[in-house]
Amino acid sequence: MDVAPLVLSLLYQFGTGAAFFFLAALGLVVILGMMNIINLAHGELMMIGAYTATITYHAGVPFWLSVILSFFVAAAFGAVLELLIVRRFYGRELGALVVTWGVSLVLGQGALLFFGPFLPSIGIPGGSFSYGDFSFSAYWLILVLISLLLILALWWLYNRTPYGLQAKATMQNAEMAKSLGVRTPQIYTLTFSLGAGLAGLSGALLAPTVTIAPFMGQQFVAPAFITVVVGGAANVIAGAVASSAVLAAVKTPIGMAFGSFSGTVALLFAALIIIRIMPNGISAALQKYFNRRAGGAMR
Amino acid sequence: MTKRKDTTLKPEAETKTQDSAAVAEAATSKGIPRRTFMTGTAATVTAATVLPNLRMARAAETGPIKIGHIEDLSGNLAVYGVQKYHAALLAVKEINEGKTLKGGPVGSGGVGFTSNFAASPPVMGAGDKDLKYVDKGGALSNSGMAFVEDEDVLVDSGESGLLGREVELIAPDGQSNNNIWQQLTRKLILEDKVDCLVAGFTSAEREAIRPIVDQYKQLFFYTNQYEGGVADSNTFCTGAIVEQQVIPVVDYMIQKFGPRVYTIAADYNFGQLTAAWTKAFAPLVGGEIIEEEFVPLSVSDFTTSIARIQAAKPDWVFTLLVGTNQSNYYPQAAAAGLEYPMASTVNMAQGYEHRRFKAPSLNRMYNCVNYIEEIPTARNRAFVKRWYEMFPDDPYIGQMAQNTYFSVHLYAKAARLAGTTDQETVKKALESGLSIEAPEGAVFLEPSTHHCSHYIRLATADANHNVSFVREWPSIQPWWLQRVGVNLVKHKEYKQYIPDEDPFFSMFSKS
Amino acid sequence: MRTIVGLISGGADIGRTRVFWIGFGVVVLLFLLYPTQTSAFRVSNVSYYLLNIPLGLGMALLWGYCGVLSFGHVAYFGIAGYIYGVIAGNMSGNPFGPLAGVAGGLLASAFVAGIFGYFVFYARVQKWIIPILTLVLTLLLETFLGQTAGYQWRIGSVLLGGYNGMTGIPWFQLGGFVFEGYSFYYLCLLVVLACYFGLRMLVNSNFGQVIVAIREDELRTELFGYDIRARQWVVFVLSAMLAGLSGLLYVQWGNYITPSQVGLLQAALPVIWAAVGGTTSLLAVVISAFALNWVTYTLSAQGNQYAMVIIGSLLVVTMLFFPRGIVVMIAERLGRLTARRAAPSQLQP
Repeated sequence: MDVAPLVLSLLYQFGTGAAFFFLAALGLVVILGMMNIINLAHGELMMIGAYTATITYHAGVPFWLSVILSFFVAAAFGAVLELLIVRRFYGRELGALVVTWGVSLVLGQGALLFFGPFLPSIGIPGGSFSYGDFSFSAYWLILVLISLLLILALWWLYNRTPYGLQAKATMQNAEMAKSLGVRTPQIYTLTFSLGAGLAGLSGALLAPTVTIAPFMGQQFVAPAFITVVVGGAANVIAGAVASSAVLAAVKTPIGMAFGSFSGTVALLFAALIIIRIMPNGISAALQKYFNRRAGGAMR
Repeated sequence: MTKRKDTTLKPEAETKTQDSAAVAEAATSKGIPRRTFMTGTAATVTAATVLPNLRMARAAETGPIKIGHIEDLSGNLAVYGVQKYHAALLAVKEINEGKTLKGGPVGSGGVGFTSNFAASPPVMGAGDKDLKYVDKGGALSNSGMAFVEDEDVLVDSGESGLLGREVELIAPDGQSNNNIWQQLTRKLILEDKVDCLVAGFTSAEREAIRPIVDQYKQLFFYTNQYEGGVADSNTFCTGAIVEQQVIPVVDYMIQKFGPRVYTIAADYNFGQLTAAWTKAFAPLVGGEIIEEEFVPLSVSDFTTSIARIQAAKPDWVFTLLVGTNQSNYYPQAAAAGLEYPMASTVNMAQGYEHRRFKAPSLNRMYNCVNYIEEIPTARNRAFVKRWYEMFPDDPYIGQMAQNTYFSVHLYAKAARLAGTTDQETVKKALESGLSIEAPEGAVFLEPSTHHCSHYIRLATADANHNVSFVREWPSIQPWWLQRVGVNLVKHKEYKQYIPDEDPFFSMFSKS
Repeated sequence: MRTIVGLISGGADIGRTRVFWIGFGVVVLLFLLYPTQTSAFRVSNVSYYLLNIPLGLGMALLWGYCGVLSFGHVAYFGIAGYIYGVIAGNMSGNPFGPLAGVAGGLLASAFVAGIFGYFVFYARVQKWIIPILTLVLTLLLETFLGQTAGYQWRIGSVLLGGYNGMTGIPWFQLGGFVFEGYSFYYLCLLVVLACYFGLRMLVNSNFGQVIVAIREDELRTELFGYDIRARQWVVFVLSAMLAGLSGLLYVQWGNYITPSQVGLLQAALPVIWAAVGGTTSLLAVVISAFALNWVTYTLSAQGNQYAMVIIGSLLVVTMLFFPRGIVVMIAERLGRLTARRAAPSQLQP
């Protein structure tokens, strides 16, 4: 067997694996990472996005437009959820966990009762290309690109816009922010619905690759949580990127050699070990490291 | 397994007076007004006594015949459960209207078929529910596939209902939760006292309730395809099993496409045992399993698996993927440009992937099935029409739904033969050598193994997801349990056999 | 004797008055009498509702009194059940097999919890990560157990059974007396009462007060000189053993266990019972665990497809309007009413 196609295959798997983790975790990065709400309805928010995309796509809307629509529909949903329910649970993390679990049950079973067991799927756009013995789906490469774009967009949003500044301030110290004139209730609603919208966006982007069923969101919940937790809250975006990369780097070679089950097991073990060594996540450890270096230089 | 002993109860009247007096005594000494306390106790105790007695008062031989039916109508497996529930409803309705399927204790074979040979098999479209032909098959010639055209097999039963009584379907929702399945089974057997129990989709659900079924000697139909091996005197398995589906398709694929096989299977009993079967059987017909991969039921991302298949370069891929998550393999493989022929026993006919996923995801998929909605025979077209008249919004009629349908009719025939609903007698009637004309064809319930011989067809989907049938086996017997030595007529058993208990595998394996 | 009574009637759980204890006694009596008035089937159902209570109690202890949410606590339920099945199944002729199985199951739960607890508490992992870690553990366990289908996956003569589960698990017996049917019901009742009173004494003791202090403010308690990690670890292991106890009772109720018992859906249930009842009270969780199981079963027995929607809505409503738990808040309101009535007499010189 040629080495070059194998290497390309491994790189491709690494890239798509990292993109999968990143997209699955995207909405949760904002909601859990920034707002500290343990959102067990995350899977269902992705489901809402996927359902919106599927329904509009089959009604004739072009796929890319459906995806954008899903963002807004999920964001609207998130805003309603925040106003009615979530806003009473800031600071009460475990309470948020339980109430979002209840919401997820209602949404999931509600989708089943309303739409039936499942909807027809969207075909995977883009073709495939091959190199040597291996062939690859082009769509996943598009998803990798989109993930990179989303990282940049999020970074720009949080570091270059007034909203980003206000949101960071609110998350750090709500009282102070309020007294400085930031309208914290609005910020909370906006942030939560942004997180929900991103989850819906991911759901819509991933929709062609999965079955559109009411409980489809549950397959993303565990990877999303693991990614966010391993990434840490010190710098949520960098953390999510780093942890997606690390987790994919562990899963890919082991999965290729021993099968995907072993890959999953290795992944879970790696997550446990990382959390043990770096309890506040990779981003916190990185920050500590950089601070120490900067501090050392100043001494 | 230890049996439960029924503790005898004291005569109820005595107990009630004694105990309530004692309780009232204890209560008054602590200062609660005696009257309120007595009223409260009396009310509770009366309620607790009266309500169950009301149910027991109903006599056993009058009133409706009850068929208990447990399937998942909510939760993860509702996709499949709802189809089977509809099948049971349709069958019960037909019985109550005075219809039955042809058949009786006439041995295997059933209606003979005259054959008009067509040059090529008819191809059914993936279109709507009228089973449109894409290609009716060629002109008459002497060689080629036999295509049978027989009349509809739903005939008058000679009475309305069953044994002069109406049939009632009691169908609670298992909610894809094994604990609830157990509770519901107990309820149906002990409280509703059903005459027949039809239940179970996954093997896990079946094994959860089989001990309870055996404890109370309840007549039980398991109508799903499964990994085989259940030898249980109370259980009748009417789904297809490994020797009827796996072996024909593996044999065909090895001959047509080559000996190198990559197996990708769901990581639980069904997937593992079926893969074990394939691994033991393939060498006997010149094949070789080059790699096996087991995927957990929750996985839906197959990038790694696809890469591994490409690295292994098999001749064809054997996919035993179960559930909504795992069926994502097909569009992902198609998008990745994977073009190997595929064989399966669980896809297409069960989860209708060829309707759900865009072409050409299921291109070159070969599936040995006992039933698939696209079967072009007249009896099946009539059945499909009846189904969609009753359930116009259903997306598909799956393999297991058809099994449930003819199993309910089979129970009715056995009860009619027995002349009673007494379960031991009906079990004996079921062991009489009953055959029934199901929509798939003639089905024979083999007495010694309590399994059915089925009409097996090798269905394939092309690049446009049109279904055609390339080979048929009009009757494959459930011979594995016979080989293992099971004879439930002579010797009662209550277990499930697994391939490791069969010495023939190791005897003839060439690995 | 006086200290035991004092411990039981301490203030760490709701209900201390005479009226309460009378009511409690009446309820227990009704439970004792229940089997004589109904069929074996209903008794078996109530046994099922009862046997889940120790799991709920463990949850209340760990979450309500110590502030640690273990989202995957059912893992210990499953471990104990499987180990019992393996040991008792292998010693099937031996009348002391089940007893050994019980001991083995409890020890196994304690052992695994001990190791896991060590990693979590001694690393001072953040509170909100613990639910996720425990959930990951139980999912890992479920995946592992789900693929043990082959014949090679057997311990002694007992097959693990993979996703189909382990069947034919023997009834519990002491010497020659087998606990099945009605005797099993009384066994469950006895176990529930023993656990409840035992825990009640524990939370009222000094140890209990320290763990409540840990829940309120870890740093402050540590600054007082208490080793909070050790205490959290002890509570974690104890609650795991309670979960294991429920698991042991469960396998005897159904003679059967599957990997789905440690899956996501089952893992959420004790959390729901505790949240709806009120985590800060043992009695509240006892009531809610019993009631919610009863509700779930009744809904599903009627073929109701809205069962999950109802449970989910119940959860949302409870968390919104009864944030401390339905039973706890009702008890608080009752307490305030009786206090108001008693207040005038207290003011008298």
